[in-house]
Amino acid sequence: MNTNSNVYTVIYTTVIVIVVAALLAFVSGKLGPAQDANAKAETLRQMMSAAGVKPTEELYAAKNAEILQLYAVNIQEAYTIDLKGEKNGELSVSKDKIDLVSKLKPQHKAILAEADVTLPVYVFKSGKAVIPIYGAGLWGPVWGYIAFEPDCHTIAGAFFDHESETPGLGAKIKDEAWFREKFIGKTVEWGETPAFRLEKNVEATGASNAVDAITGATMTSKGLNEALNVWFKAYENHFGLGAFFNALEEHAIETTTNEEEE
Amino acid sequence: MDKKLKETILNPILKGNPITVLVLGICSALAVTVQLKGALVMALSVIVVTGVSSLICSLLRNTIPNRVRIIVQLVVVAMMVILVDQILKAGEATYAIDKQLSVYIGLIITNCIVMGRIEAFALGNKPIPSLLDGIANGLGYGLILVVVAFFRELLGSGTLFGFQVLPAGYIPNNLVILPPFALILLGCIIWVHRAIDKDLQEK
Amino acid sequence: MEYISLFVKSIFVDNMIFAYFLGMCSYLAVSKNVKTANGLGLAVIFVLLCTLPLNWLLNTYVLQPGALKWLGPQFAEVDLSFLSFILFIAVIAAFVQLVEMIVEKFLPSLYSSLGIYLPLIAVNCAILGGSLFMQQRDFTGIGEPLVYALGSGIGWYLAIVALAAIREKMSYSNVPKPLKGIGITFITVGLMGMAFMIFMGIQL
Repeated sequence: MNTNSNVYTVIYTTVIVIVVAALLAFVSGKLGPAQDANAKAETLRQMMSAAGVKPTEELYAAKNAEILQLYAVNIQEAYTIDLKGEKNGELSVSKDKIDLVSKLKPQHKAILAEADVTLPVYVFKSGKAVIPIYGAGLWGPVWGYIAFEPDCHTIAGAFFDHESETPGLGAKIKDEAWFREKFIGKTVEWGETPAFRLEKNVEATGASNAVDAITGATMTSKGLNEALNVWFKAYENHFGLGAFFNALEEHAIETTTNEEEE
Repeated sequence: MDKKLKETILNPILKGNPITVLVLGICSALAVTVQLKGALVMALSVIVVTGVSSLICSLLRNTIPNRVRIIVQLVVVAMMVILVDQILKAGEATYAIDKQLSVYIGLIITNCIVMGRIEAFALGNKPIPSLLDGIANGLGYGLILVVVAFFRELLGSGTLFGFQVLPAGYIPNNLVILPPFALILLGCIIWVHRAIDKDLQEK
Repeated sequence: MEYISLFVKSIFVDNMIFAYFLGMCSYLAVSKNVKTANGLGLAVIFVLLCTLPLNWLLNTYVLQPGALKWLGPQFAEVDLSFLSFILFIAVIAAFVQLVEMIVEKFLPSLYSSLGIYLPLIAVNCAILGGSLFMQQRDFTGIGEPLVYALGSGIGWYLAIVALAAIREKMSYSNVPKPLKGIGITFITVGLMGMAFMIFMGIQL
């Protein structure tokens, strides 16, 4: 057979492409659920690490199923808000595909100008509320989760992750526990610009809304600082102006009455 | 085992090592060698991809139209890489590593070792030797990857596979973790390799 | 202004060779003299400049989740991103074939000196890498991928010409025998990479 004729070449290429595409579509369809489950468990791990549900190492040692269960036991409610701070939707972890990072991506640059946004808030039974942040580091995206105490402005915990920051420098935002621990107990000054500072030598000033940036990772720190402030701005009306606060007060009254009854 | 087959397997690991002798597939060799774990997964992925795509291309060798040869090879390799990537993403234990390797798994497609072996060997040989040749070249590649990663993780973080090996007082050498150092380390490996095997020295 | 910063950043800060080590195989193999390095560098710029915006269009309107919305609302959920490697590499391979035919026809002397490495641009990691990084970076509009492609191409070009010049000089120096050739080249590139790291701290 003449394998160099035009007809043969065209048919051959078409057949190969169709076979390969069909095979890949099949595999991707089969493995899709498992991949989504992994992504979801990863998000929940990072979120619960920020909320202090369990130590980070234990969360990373746990299986996906255990993580889902742990989340179900600890979550109070999960909902979305708009920029005014009003609730505009409920979130369900069992149903929704929660891959916060890809969800936030398109919103990152223009989030503060957009009319129609859904910002997720996760309130845990401990009263801590977790919000995601997202921004650009040196090489690629950086993101993280910030947990607030019930008073809405003290940071209870944080977790940061990145796609491809320099190992040993920018990657410290994830690898070094001391970095995220530095955020615990700091406060966010809602309404101020900047609401929070991640810069050089700011801890020395004694400011309660500041954390020292990582030495040698200027661009990663700068990106993270920007991400924090963009997202704190977006959540400002919700946490700063008290919609959330009131809801929590109600919750607090309920629990105290319950305790009295007991 | 006959002599030729043995040669096919042993040659790429030492004398004709794809990285240090043929200088192929450097790109990913440098980026993924900060930690042993990542390097090991990368090495395994490359072994699977080179082996199986060599096998497939060898099976198809008499039917491939010459003019679209490169494209057909690339499609086969890309398919294998996507499969590996999807499987790594789906496994509970491998998910985190796949995320860490990110685009470098995709770049196996353009790893010259894979294409080079298909062009040079698989298209002219029977399926079984092609499979072995692919695997052996993957092994030769993986060996260098693991050696580089060993030194980089040991000196750069004081750990091996994430476990602390050097005493706690050791201050990690940040230079070793930075990408350029991988090149220098590779240069030194070549130095040692060629000092031992004098046939390989360039005039 | 943003374009200028992206342009400068992709040449120096995100240099394909020194920051990501992409396209190393042909980089090391074709950098023995400045003339051929020049030719390959220009070919890489051209292929990057053509394929990256094309792949961006492909990614935005076909591949990424929800990209097929323009076909109708029922396609909004379709996610074809698992096909991106294959489509990107197909676009690249087709373009390289084109460049090869043009060079063969009009610049035969360059064609004979580039030899095997011209088809190898198809498997040059810098080209595919450019497309994959483009996918990660969610550019807005066609302008950004164009500028990014031009910048990374020029960065690669500069890197290969610089190394070729150094290697031309180095052929007169007294290098330990086992280190001669490729060994010392690796170490040189490593040192160049360290020098390029100073650009990382630049604020743009």
